[in-house]
Amino acid sequence: MLKISKNEKTAYKMVLPYVLIIVSLIVFLLTLNIYLSFTNNEGNFTFSNYIEAIKDPVFLIMLKNTVIWTICSVIGQLSLGLLVAILLNQIKKGEVIFRSIILILPWATLDIVAGVTWKWMFNDMYGVINDILFRFGFISDYISWLGQPKTALAAVIIANIWKGFSLSGLFFLAGLQAIPVQLYEAAEIDGANVFQKFTHVTIPQLKPILITTLMFTTIWTINYFPLIYTMTGGGPGYGTETFVTYIYRINFKFLEYNKSAALSNILFLIILFISILYIKVLTKEENS
Amino acid sequence: MYKILSYFLLIIISIIIAFPFYWLIVTSFKTYPEIYSYPLTYYPHDVTFEHFKEIMRLDIGKYFINSLIVSITTSILSLIIAVLPAYAFSRFSFRGKNSLLTSVLLFQMFPMVIFLMPIFNLLKNIGLLDTYLGLILSYIAFTTPITIIFLRGFFIDIPESLEEAAMIDGCSIFQAFYKIILPLTLPGIASVGTYTFLFTWSELLYSMSFLLSKSKQTIPTFLSLFVGQYQTRWGPLFAGSLLATIPPLIIFIILQRYFIKGLTSGAVKE
Repeated sequence: MLKISKNEKTAYKMVLPYVLIIVSLIVFLLTLNIYLSFTNNEGNFTFSNYIEAIKDPVFLIMLKNTVIWTICSVIGQLSLGLLVAILLNQIKKGEVIFRSIILILPWATLDIVAGVTWKWMFNDMYGVINDILFRFGFISDYISWLGQPKTALAAVIIANIWKGFSLSGLFFLAGLQAIPVQLYEAAEIDGANVFQKFTHVTIPQLKPILITTLMFTTIWTINYFPLIYTMTGGGPGYGTETFVTYIYRINFKFLEYNKSAALSNILFLIILFISILYIKVLTKEENS
Repeated sequence: MYKILSYFLLIIISIIIAFPFYWLIVTSFKTYPEIYSYPLTYYPHDVTFEHFKEIMRLDIGKYFINSLIVSITTSILSLIIAVLPAYAFSRFSFRGKNSLLTSVLLFQMFPMVIFLMPIFNLLKNIGLLDTYLGLILSYIAFTTPITIIFLRGFFIDIPESLEEAAMIDGCSIFQAFYKIILPLTLPGIASVGTYTFLFTWSELLYSMSFLLSKSKQTIPTFLSLFVGQYQTRWGPLFAGSLLATIPPLIIFIILQRYFIKGLTSGAVKE
């Protein structure tokens, strides 16, 4: 029986602009990408865009970089965010000041500004990071951070942790503040110590937010473009090339639009897979 | 005991986190010889305003205005498109609601770069390439979903009995919404609008790809041009970066309560 109630009618009227403008635009763009990725320059159907994209030796390099960049950034952002959230949750006086400095400052900094600042700090000759490390005796020679693939990747990851950990910090702080005090009191009566309270009350209570933050941070990190673009441009060589910077390079440097459409679709499927996985895990978590 | 440890650690973390920003400020007030001096100076020995004068001479004001046009229009348009759907998602149950809500969640996870070429082609075909309108339209696809999520979170917090009372008094649902709900959620709506504003203010990829003429470029693109392959003009770049960061920073600090609420309610509440 298909009967539309009055409320449903109102609801449909209300969501109409979203469906008409946003949903149709995005569906159109996705279709265009799929079409482009299966056509060659003459407009004929072909698989060669995908085959060429995957066979390119850069494909594996940038895939590896994307995995390292994402895993290291996510672990760094989540642990720093959790640490800061726990500390901020302990104090009352001055919480706003510390929150503004630690969580708001990096968040409000423009992506490009964060990029150029870190680029300058990692400068091999005049960079403050070499200077500090040298003064404290951690290094005996200045390191050309952005001049070698491995250190360049480490440098962009460090900058990204700085730029992005605020979000996990804010999520975790909201989650911690929502945990009922009674749970801690009950644990205390049962004789739990600080560590046990953390593992038996805090972590289980925080689990849904942990999963959500993990997923958001993972996807945002994979998608994050401007920091690498300004700091290294994907270089040296392909040392810091990730999926998104590579698609950009293919587009605007090499002008291979069909290949970039193929790569875009592969990236899209990866993101879609992670999102669906997350929604599955979260529904399972909510039902249990 | 734990409190003292917390404060101690927070102070150390604050110093580390604030340092890059401190370095940005310090460098923008150093003279060129001091920027390239050895040993490094940790505060400007000769405070200079030459880089700020230089960035003014390069007409940073014009790019500020360009960015303002794009950012303000984008946030207002995405609010207008998002407000009713967000309300519907917060109040009604209807067939297809779950898949539409999932689409909202999914859309904001799409990487902007995958639509770079399709949007570029689309804008070129409809004659909107290198126009503010074209750039704004492409932003809206990304800002509307997150706006819906934020707004829905704010609407959920308002008890339904308020509209019910208004409707008993003879208001239609739309009237009840505009007269009762909208004024109550105005701070929230303003903060979502600001959030979108700041996203657009900072966005680099689309603005540098779709606005081709130099006179139309936004602040991030303008700043990115100082970074050369061989030579970067650090002085004016940092002065401009500082100027570009101050407005969002002030807005963020003032509205942080709302941002945090909007973000977390959107992400945490289902």
